Amino acid sequence: MNAMNDVSSKVDRRADDVVLAVRNVKKHYPIREGVFQSVVGHVKAVDGVSFDIRRGETVGLVGESGCGKSTLGRCVSGLSDPTGGGVYFGLSKAEVARLDTLLADGSAAAQAELAQMERRHRIDRLEGAAQRHFRRNCQMVFQDSFASLNPRQLVIDIVGRPLRVYREASGDALTERVVSLLEQVGLGRHHLYRFPHQFSGGQRQRISIARALALDPDLIVLDEPTSALDVSVQAQILNLLYELQRDRGLAYLFVTHDLSVVHHMADRLVTMYLGRVAESGDTNTVFETPQHPYTRALIAAKPDLNDDEGRTMQALEGRVPDPARPPQGCRFHTRCAVATPMCGWEVDDVVRWLESSKGVFDALEGVDRTNAFDAALRFSSEAAARNLASTLRSDAIPAAMQQALEDVTVSGGAVRVRFREVPEVELTERGPGHHAACLINPSHSSSGAN
Amino acid sequence: MLDMTNRPSGLANSPATIASVRDLTVHFPSKRGMVHAVDRVSFEIRDGETLGLVGETGCGKSVTGRSFLQLLPIPPGILAQGTVTFHPHARCGACAGTGCDACNSTGRRPAACPSCTGAGCAQCNGSGAETVELLRLPEDRIRRIRGDRIAMIFQDPGKALNPTLTIGDQLSEVFLQHRTEELLDAAGIGPEDRGLAARLLGRLASQRNGSIDNLLLSLPPLRGKRNLLLDALRNNVAAALAETQIANPYQIIDRYPHELSGGMRQRVMIAQALACNPDLLIADEPTTALDVTVQARILELIKDLQKRRQTSVLYISHDLSLVRRICDRVAVMYAGRVVEIGRTDRIFRNPSHPYTRGLLHAVPTAATKRGQLMAIKGTVPELVDPPPSCRFVGRCPHEKALCRSKNPELAQISDEHSVSCFIHDAAGAADAPSFDEKTQ
Ligand SMILES: Nc1ncnc2c1ncn2[C@@H]1O[C@H](COP(=O)(O)OP(=O)(O)OP(=O)(O)O)[C@@H](O)[C@H]1O
Ligand SMILES: Nc1ncnc2c1ncn2[C@@H]1O[C@H](COP(=O)(O)OP(=O)(O)O)[C@@H](O)[C@H]1O
Ligand code: SF4
Ligand code: SF4
Ligand SMILES: [Mg+2]
Ligand SMILES: [Mg+2]
Ligand SMILES: [Zn+2]
Ligand SMILES: [Zn+2]
Repeated sequence: MNAMNDVSSKVDRRADDVVLAVRNVKKHYPIREGVFQSVVGHVKAVDGVSFDIRRGETVGLVGESGCGKSTLGRCVSGLSDPTGGGVYFGLSKAEVARLDTLLADGSAAAQAELAQMERRHRIDRLEGAAQRHFRRNCQMVFQDSFASLNPRQLVIDIVGRPLRVYREASGDALTERVVSLLEQVGLGRHHLYRFPHQFSGGQRQRISIARALALDPDLIVLDEPTSALDVSVQAQILNLLYELQRDRGLAYLFVTHDLSVVHHMADRLVTMYLGRVAESGDTNTVFETPQHPYTRALIAAKPDLNDDEGRTMQALEGRVPDPARPPQGCRFHTRCAVATPMCGWEVDDVVRWLESSKGVFDALEGVDRTNAFDAALRFSSEAAARNLASTLRSDAIPAAMQQALEDVTVSGGAVRVRFREVPEVELTERGPGHHAACLINPSHSSSGAN
Repeated sequence: MLDMTNRPSGLANSPATIASVRDLTVHFPSKRGMVHAVDRVSFEIRDGETLGLVGETGCGKSVTGRSFLQLLPIPPGILAQGTVTFHPHARCGACAGTGCDACNSTGRRPAACPSCTGAGCAQCNGSGAETVELLRLPEDRIRRIRGDRIAMIFQDPGKALNPTLTIGDQLSEVFLQHRTEELLDAAGIGPEDRGLAARLLGRLASQRNGSIDNLLLSLPPLRGKRNLLLDALRNNVAAALAETQIANPYQIIDRYPHELSGGMRQRVMIAQALACNPDLLIADEPTTALDVTVQARILELIKDLQKRRQTSVLYISHDLSLVRRICDRVAVMYAGRVVEIGRTDRIFRNPSHPYTRGLLHAVPTAATKRGQLMAIKGTVPELVDPPPSCRFVGRCPHEKALCRSKNPELAQISDEHSVSCFIHDAAGAADAPSFDEKTQ
């Protein structure tokens, strides 16, 4: 037995172990412009996300394209380093509690203890054997099988590579291990000596899964693993993933846009919107009593085989705002059908509205911001400024936005707008282990609950 | 759904179909023999309808879809037999494109056969409609159809976009070529200069150098309208992107494909295909990388296009719940063959091929216990030199000796519903399989 196995044998495999703890993870990509490529802003792809993945469980991660799911998946699997917060691997339940205490405690003693804990568990601070231990125990299966499989390698080399790198097998034994992995994902010996391009999209995804399984990991991050597969193969793979999980205590972070799949597979669900968690909780509870309007919109848009034939799918209006300038308050307020005056209405909402109404936008010369809620909009003519001011008082804009306006004053060609300042909407508890980041909390108004 | 049966057309026989695939057979040579990727596939796409094409991975859906545009990898692929005929649309003669009863208010109608001008002749098989055989069309003509009369959304957005051009330049090309009228309107170019201006824009589009800031724009009648045109172009491109709910369309315009996420690239490709105003849209898993709210939006856009232009859609997908919702008819493919085809409600209420039944049982739901999805046993057979038997043998729970000795043909079992399985084809015969009997 080699050094890696010693490390793994020290890990106590108890069910309430937290395989992975994600704490306030941020990933901001710099936006560079100009000849000198100076940084003019940041795309906040992931902006303060926390959750746990426990041994043997499946956490489903859903959300719209570009909301940061893949970025988060890459941070979790150590393929990219977060720009803030940390990802911790292999903590017991007690150690996670300690971690949370330390993170909240600013004292020098706490920081020293934290630093020590981070050297052993924080995945971007690991070294030597601990790092190898993490690397082999956390694998990833990607969305785009074309990009993730080396086009010049044969299947036997692709699937066998981790076994060779970690000196698990060689020669005939390696071939047999690869054949057995291929058979587990519904392929066979006759596929060993082919190149990725000789397979259809679905067959390539199975090769990726076989490769991820090779080292018998604790956690696999699955980024849209079955979205290119038809249902029959998907059923095989979902059954297979379940069996592997049951037999080996494997945990999954399951990133997908298919709500039928997460509903079937996930123990817990995290919905993400624009880099933050909108709602998280037990899967059945979330589907039965979704607390966040965004989760409700996702469920309304999902076609289901058991629906009435007449049911139409509901598209969510509006588009995902720029993650470089996420909305204030609640990030969903620009698209939320039930938004309140407290949801974070801001100067950018006026600018967004101007962008969609062409004539007025052309007259806009500049925006002088005091902060996100307070600014003077300069126009080329006083008429244009008056036009905006009267629109802001009309019902052309949402009522909630209008009520959030504390001041609209025209002076010359400028309109001063000031909205009510509100803090970012935080997650609040809605039930045991069920959290949502929405100001509307039905359980507060109905006094009877608990 | 559109009424296909009694639409006046002015042509000898109004073609109710926009395209028909007949006996399409595509082979790929491999070390162990010939892979029969697509085997005598026949179906038609009716004018204005959405036909779903579903089936297991590798069953030949994409190869079938790509054959419409000669995008098959030939060689190494071999087109063994078959035809794909297509009836392009043209501006409606009765209303000059403004919309009338004759064209279902779309302003578009099947184009008349050029050799008989609609009366019906041998070349158009008596239909009077222009008939193009796509598989054997010369390169220059198929290039003119590609992205114009027929547009395709590819399964792999990574490969479909040009990595060296910005998103804006790729989409501009489409607008310069296919949406010339709108650009000229926006630039305020009068009717007397239209013809010349349109030709100049077409030339710009075909230069494919990614830079439209060009000498051609300094020629009359475009001179002086240069900025108006460039603005209109930029606005139209941004609007097309915005329709697919991409954030910050004006910024996306200046980015390169590799700077976008998979879902964003897929939407760029969709915007590009829809902007072409095609008569036929081949959508190969167009929404696989997209989440459900955007998917619902894309489907609305496709439906809009169908209303506006009478566009027919071949919708390739593995999502049965989605196909059930959006398709008029569905074709189920298995191992290179069509095994069941018919009206959507018939297929889903009364699935009549053992494979179709298997597929429907494999759909994950919350009610099914984990690990207990009904996966169809076994794997897709190697399509190398297949024997003359039903392709589903070995996986079918009902197979009998007959199934291993003969290949069932697609046969109608009821109005608008055809199946290829001996349960229906040889029903009653002594050695015929039956749904009542499981053979394991
Ligand atoms: N370039 C090629 N060379 C060799 N074989 C090929 C090639 N392209 C496709 N094939 C084979 O042809 C068959 C049909 O492939 P196709 O891509 O049409 O499947 P599909 O139904 O679209 O599958 P998926 O649902 O995975 O997209 C498969 O067996 C595949 O391996
Ligand atoms: N390498 C990168 N450089 C700059 N921005 C990026 C990069 N990768 C992703 N982004 C941006 O980060 C956001 C989240 O992307 P991603 O995690 O891929 O989304 P998802 O997986 O949820 O679809 C998007 O706005 C995307 O454009
Ligand atoms: S806080 Fe709730 S109600 Fe307000 S915008 Fe966000 S989701 Fe809508
Ligand atoms: S019953 Fe026979 S013919 Fe029908 S699908 Fe099964 S094997 Fe094929
Ligand atoms: Mg992603
Ligand atoms: Mg395909
Ligand atoms: Zn007409
Ligand atoms: Zn003719």
